[in-house]
Amino acid sequence: MIEYDSEEQRMVLKFVYYGPALSGKTTNLLRLHDLLAKEGRGDLMVLDTKDDRTIFFDLLPFFLVAPSGLKIKVKVYTVPGQVQHDATRKAVLQRADGVAFIADSRRSEAKNNAESFGNLERNLSIVGIGIDKLPLVLQYNKRDLPDILPEEEIRRTWGATGFPVVLSSALEGWGVVETFRALAERAYDALDRRYDFTGTHGLTRGSFAERLVRRAG
Amino acid sequence: MPTDSEGRRRIVYCVGEEHALRDILPEAEAAALLSAASRAGLRGVRVVDPGGKALWGSGDDVPPPGEGDPRRPILLEGEAAGSVVLPAGAAGGETQDALLALLADALTAMAHNNLKRMLVTETHTEVVNRSYEELLETNRSLSASEQRYRELAGTLEIKVRERTEELSRAMARLVQQEKMASVGQLAAGVAHEINNPLAFVTSNLRTLKKYTERFLDIIARYQRVFEQGGVAQQDRDDLRKHRVSLRLDAISEDAGDLLRQTLEGTERVRKIVSDLKGFSHVDEEGEAPADMNREIDRTLSVMRHEIPAGAGIVREFSPLPVIPCRPGAFNQLFLGLVRNALQARQEGLRLTLRTGVSGDRIRIAFADNGPGVPADLRTRIFEPFFTTRDVGKGKGLGLTVAYDIVTAHGGTIDVEDTPGGGATFVLQLPIRRGSHDQIR
Ligand SMILES: Nc1nc2c(ncn2[C@@H]2O[C@H](COP(=O)(O)OP(=O)(O)O)[C@@H](O)[C@H]2O)c(=O)[nH]1
Ligand SMILES: [Mg+2]
Repeated sequence: MIEYDSEEQRMVLKFVYYGPALSGKTTNLLRLHDLLAKEGRGDLMVLDTKDDRTIFFDLLPFFLVAPSGLKIKVKVYTVPGQVQHDATRKAVLQRADGVAFIADSRRSEAKNNAESFGNLERNLSIVGIGIDKLPLVLQYNKRDLPDILPEEEIRRTWGATGFPVVLSSALEGWGVVETFRALAERAYDALDRRYDFTGTHGLTRGSFAERLVRRAG
Repeated sequence: MPTDSEGRRRIVYCVGEEHALRDILPEAEAAALLSAASRAGLRGVRVVDPGGKALWGSGDDVPPPGEGDPRRPILLEGEAAGSVVLPAGAAGGETQDALLALLADALTAMAHNNLKRMLVTETHTEVVNRSYEELLETNRSLSASEQRYRELAGTLEIKVRERTEELSRAMARLVQQEKMASVGQLAAGVAHEINNPLAFVTSNLRTLKKYTERFLDIIARYQRVFEQGGVAQQDRDDLRKHRVSLRLDAISEDAGDLLRQTLEGTERVRKIVSDLKGFSHVDEEGEAPADMNREIDRTLSVMRHEIPAGAGIVREFSPLPVIPCRPGAFNQLFLGLVRNALQARQEGLRLTLRTGVSGDRIRIAFADNGPGVPADLRTRIFEPFFTTRDVGKGKGLGLTVAYDIVTAHGGTIDVEDTPGGGATFVLQLPIRRGSHDQIR
């Protein structure tokens, strides 16, 4: 969490879309921007793009008010996947409340996925976040392409970790909202334990997720 | 600055600072837009913050905005960060509503773009600054380790020299021990080789002694017969003459002594050989029961030729219980101590070897009248690698070996002053040892 001001009744949360370069992180945010209602959502900021690769990062903000009056801003960031932008990745990852790891489903990308996940683990420990305490969701993207890892293989790999795995095609627009919802629900559980969202703020898990993923009419 | 688990300073990167509308929209930009809107028909239009406080106005002289006045939100990241308000009393209508919406959208877009620019700048600055801090931190720790290595390099040379000396001494010690071991083996081998001929020489001599007695007996009989006149006078004279010229009377007397002495000689050779074998103890594996008095005597008998005529060795032995030990090792130890004494004083050496039982220990003292050992060296002379001579040059075995042998047995070795001058090495050996270090 970037900020919590109990006097002002304000909270700023940070979700991060992490993963190797070109796995579809920006496309995920673009799709969320298109698929979700304009109300309670800001515009997508694509920062400093060069050659269609994110140099800095993208930001899609959301805003909701709990029944208690607590204002909650949720900032969804993507990180630049390129190796050389590790400093930016660390800056974005700092004080994250949840991470969606976007993997490229193609067999040829397995090594890049693994390296990026290793980088996530290392950077989490550098910024002082325990991976076992962090709400984390995995997305296997680009399911529309040929020569991809079969679902059962993916489930076998990640089953034991307990992380939710969502299959998607950000290009075709499916699996994207499900990923975001899964992340919101996981993050809610962690925040509820700490800030008593349900009791003190009258904000249930369902209504928190519902407000974030309200579909455009 | 926070630190990590290893106490290193951790540099915190973070972006996503929150901004109020006032910080994002510069007054000049907002004011220009507001006055243009005013001219276009929104007289008295102004911007208020979420709390209703006026931020900027068009500059027109109009009353402050009220609750019911028409307003449109300015959105920042999806949140209403403020509103544009048209005060009551201003001309209303569809055109005004549309203009008001247009103004709100324009300000929202302006805020969005400014925020984006600020975020880029913030990220850039953050990353550059933190990377710079990280470099400084890296530089700091590199300088620290460079300093450490510099110091290390300084002492390294001395350490290497010390270690090299230790190693060469240890090497010399090993060579010496090896030599001693092979000398022992050689001695045992020679002893074994000598034993065989010695055995038949001794046995033949005994037989020869018996034969000689018989020869002499028959000669004596012949003589009696001759003397009683059993043969011609001529022959008798001849024989007597011959007997005298052969000095047979003296020879007959001497022959017995000769053979007895020779047999005594072979007996002595046999004893030396057996001592030599006993000394090297190559026949024995590990421990064997031993009487320390006997082992000391055995050592002395092997060393006899080394001890100069003028040296006085005094044995003051008390009966000792037999104890299990490695007799070969103790022979080496005694030999080393005697040699030390021989080196301590060339002429007029008097070495007293005293044994006895004291409580549950055997006490053995080697007291010489040499120069003695200075007090500050007394504990150090038993340390590994310590020597006042170069090992291998002196004849002594080295006191470390003595120390090793005694401690392996569970005993102690110390050096004291001999009353009246000189050094006394005192060994104390337990008569009974714990079962775990008994004969392996
Ligand atoms: N076929 C296919 N292409 C995708 C999918 N998601 C993203 N892409 C493409 O992959 C490329 C990189 O996507 P982008 O979102 O910029 O990746 P980022 O580097 O992770 O932000 C673009 O050409 C996307 O159109 C998908 O689900 N299927
Ligand atoms: Mg991108």
